Amino acid sequence: MRASDLIGRDVVRADGTAVGVVTDLRCVQDGPVRGAHASLRIDALLVSRHHVGSLLGYDRRKRQGPWLIRVIVRYLHRHMQVVPWADVVSEGPPVRLRG
Amino acid sequence: MTETSHGRVLDLNMHLLDRQVVDRDGRFVCKVDDVELERGADGAMYVAKILIGPRALGPRFRGRLGVWVRAIAERLSTDPIPTIDFAVVEDIGSAVKLSASLDDLRVAPLEDWVRDHIVSRVPGSRHASE
Repeated sequence: MRASDLIGRDVVRADGTAVGVVTDLRCVQDGPVRGAHASLRIDALLVSRHHVGSLLGYDRRKRQGPWLIRVIVRYLHRHMQVVPWADVVSEGPPVRLRG
Repeated sequence: MTETSHGRVLDLNMHLLDRQVVDRDGRFVCKVDDVELERGADGAMYVAKILIGPRALGPRFRGRLGVWVRAIAERLSTDPIPTIDFAVVEDIGSAVKLSASLDDLRVAPLEDWVRDHIVSRVPGSRHASE
């Protein structure tokens, strides 16, 4: 599976209700050693209602400027959720969450 | 990108995709067009490889543009998509630094072929520029 298979994919709960769309994959470098370093483990999905502007990082960095763009993008992504990978039942499409 | 007691935290789309990849000598290798994920023995998903080239990049474009990029790239080459194993990734910053040399990676077969079969036959090509 590629990262791009998951990014942009719809996310739904077990009962079929829509949660949003995957805008990014959050990784933690704490996996088994690969080469000289720990592997990057997929820790969570960043799920938002919009894909627009997410790549600019305004939805994650608190003090990134210009302030007007920051305010607009943060407003668009005000419902962004960090969904733990452990809650993913199926990668889909769509990505299905437990509960 | 942040550091926690559990390890470094980064977001793939923002901190890794489209970053420039340089070898151990600082030479440009490629860009991170996509990454391959694989399931570990513990059931977790891990980043395994960097995928390179238009056949890796094409599917990231939504709609007709992605279909065109992919179709053209697939007509030009049927070889497996060039990859770089994440084992040789030394550091991820504004660029992705590798512990390997560009000469050992063989990620640009067309460039390698042109260098070996055409450029090397040009008189004076083996001399460093003065």
